[in-house]
Amino acid sequence: METFIIQLLNGLVFSMLLFTMAAGLSLIFGQMDVINLAHGSFYLLGGYIGLTMVRRLNNFWLALVVAPLLVGALGLVLEYFFLRRLYGRHRHLDQVLFTFGLALIAADLIRWYWGAYVESVPPPDLLSGQVPVFAVQFPIYRLSLIGVGVALALFLWLLIERTRIGAIIRAGVADAEMVSALGIDVHKVFAGVFALGVALAALAGVLGSPVLNLYPGLDFEILILTLVVVVVGGLGTLKGAFFGSLLIGMADTFGKAFLPEFTLFLIFAVMAVVLLLRPSGLFGLEGA
Amino acid sequence: MSDKKTVQPTGLSRREFLRAAGIAAGAVAAAPLLSACGPFVGGRATGPVKIGILLPYSDIYAVLGESITAAMEMYFEEVGNEAGGRKIELIKEDTEIKPDVAQQKARKLVEQDEVDLVAGIVSSGVLLALRDYFDANKKLLICANAGANPISRDRKTPYIWRTSFSNWQPNWPTGKWAAENVGKRAFISVPDYAAGENTITAFAHSFVNAGGEVIGVQRTPFPNMGDPAPFMAEIADANPDLVYAFYSGGAAVTFVKAYADFGLAGKIPLLSSGFMVEEDVLPAQGEAALGVRSGLHWALLLDNETNKRFRKAYKERTGREPNVFAVQGYDTARVIVEMLNKVEGDTSNVDKMIEVLPDIQFDSPRGPFKFDAKSQNPSQHIYLREVREVDGELHNVIIEDMGEITDPGDNSKDLQV
Repeated sequence: METFIIQLLNGLVFSMLLFTMAAGLSLIFGQMDVINLAHGSFYLLGGYIGLTMVRRLNNFWLALVVAPLLVGALGLVLEYFFLRRLYGRHRHLDQVLFTFGLALIAADLIRWYWGAYVESVPPPDLLSGQVPVFAVQFPIYRLSLIGVGVALALFLWLLIERTRIGAIIRAGVADAEMVSALGIDVHKVFAGVFALGVALAALAGVLGSPVLNLYPGLDFEILILTLVVVVVGGLGTLKGAFFGSLLIGMADTFGKAFLPEFTLFLIFAVMAVVLLLRPSGLFGLEGA
Repeated sequence: MSDKKTVQPTGLSRREFLRAAGIAAGAVAAAPLLSACGPFVGGRATGPVKIGILLPYSDIYAVLGESITAAMEMYFEEVGNEAGGRKIELIKEDTEIKPDVAQQKARKLVEQDEVDLVAGIVSSGVLLALRDYFDANKKLLICANAGANPISRDRKTPYIWRTSFSNWQPNWPTGKWAAENVGKRAFISVPDYAAGENTITAFAHSFVNAGGEVIGVQRTPFPNMGDPAPFMAEIADANPDLVYAFYSGGAAVTFVKAYADFGLAGKIPLLSSGFMVEEDVLPAQGEAALGVRSGLHWALLLDNETNKRFRKAYKERTGREPNVFAVQGYDTARVIVEMLNKVEGDTSNVDKMIEVLPDIQFDSPRGPFKFDAKSQNPSQHIYLREVREVDGELHNVIIEDMGEITDPGDNSKDLQV
């Protein structure tokens, strides 16, 4: 029983880490109808920028702010010069090709600059150390990720459902022409959403680096995990990303605890079952 | 080059460009002709010896591939890129860690580039997948890392020789040492693939024979472990006298750091085969690795002249400390050069090349290098090492020389658990 509770806690931590990773991907798809296959690359770039900052300035908190800002700015540039040309209902293939190409280029550039060695980032002093949970010394940093995940979910929900900006974003997806007719620059709104989604990926990269470390190849690992989460949860809904993270996080943790040889299989089995029962995911919109 | 534009911003005139392009095209077209008739003068090859290199340059073992390559090139340069009277030419291909990708690349090297021999291979899974191809095509493969036991045993072929180790080698003496010096109840954690299984059976055999008991085994997803937390909870729950593990590359950092994060380091002794705390991952593991004890055929601080020279030259070349993979790359290059010298550059007869291999001996950074002809694998000393702080840096300090270890050539010293 004690071990079960510990694993439940592990599952919760990993779920919330997954949510921080998947939130940006879900946001960009849900609010812009764009499939961003470079999501894992923005995660990794954020993580490496964080690494450099922690090494140079020894300040994890500053890295947590600056890495998302820098990567978000890069997102603005990419949106303005490239992605903007690829919007539209039937252009998913163009978006996929563009963002996948971006991911391949990013992987090489990141490796060229930061090298192929595994790098790790220590958690901030305030959150290092452990607290006893039954017989296990549980790392405080991991526990704090639960709080971060819940806070992030709350923040995004309020932003999109309860603010004027959120209303404009939602309206922009539903009917971009009508929103333009009301005197609102839809391009700016979309650029803002893309930058936010990309910045969230970078934030996750910094948050995840003390747990999963940084190395070439992690970008595609993260991409696949987050795609599974978003597909299971229901494409493009925040609620879906949240509960999809919980389901996949728990499946991964309990899979590793009880059937370690089948962990990868288990995640995809969960995805297959969910899609069989609910083809548009747990909280997907019909016809999405 | 657009016809309508007259501006030449590069300063290169149209005529010059066309001439250069023509020469380049001619050279490309003529190359196969030249290589077809060039190397054979009087029935003897005189062109460059083409060596195919199959290594991972991406994915979690990228650093291993890079280290092996850097050290190989370093040795070839030391001998003027020449052996047996012929120039040495390397053709590198990325195997990732995928057996199917490696098979395509091997075919490309052998059939398209027509290399004289192949060297490299990091992953045991890749080596096992390539075994039949090299055996059927009678092409020589010098393995610079992958330690899959069967290649020295029931899957042995005259065409594959290893300059590295068999997976059994570092684990077997360490099992005995652990039972005699650390504790009797062991929990084993390995990645779920060939090298992991080889680790379990070798360690368990000598550990159990020395009075120990294996109380649990966990096999973790390979190549990507993902979140290691559930495995740490399982280890804490089992509460063994010691944990024996084998991880390499990214997973080594993830595992060792999580072991410390969950407060297991310092509470339950962690032992491993030396790859888990090698010089390539130690800086990233940092203090989390302190006190980890491991068995391996080399250590950075190993006290011999060749090693000191090697360490200095490698650091000057790459800016980093060498690791065991670099040592194996260096020795692989040396074995190839010695072999080519012995056959006087004649690579046309693969049997002649194989015939001279068992006699090759030299001073390696790991000490004396020699093959065991039966297992086609080095017979070498295994050192028990401990991660300690030395002059402000973390390194593996040798605590004990566990003696010269030779792969038994069969499964008589393995124990299934």
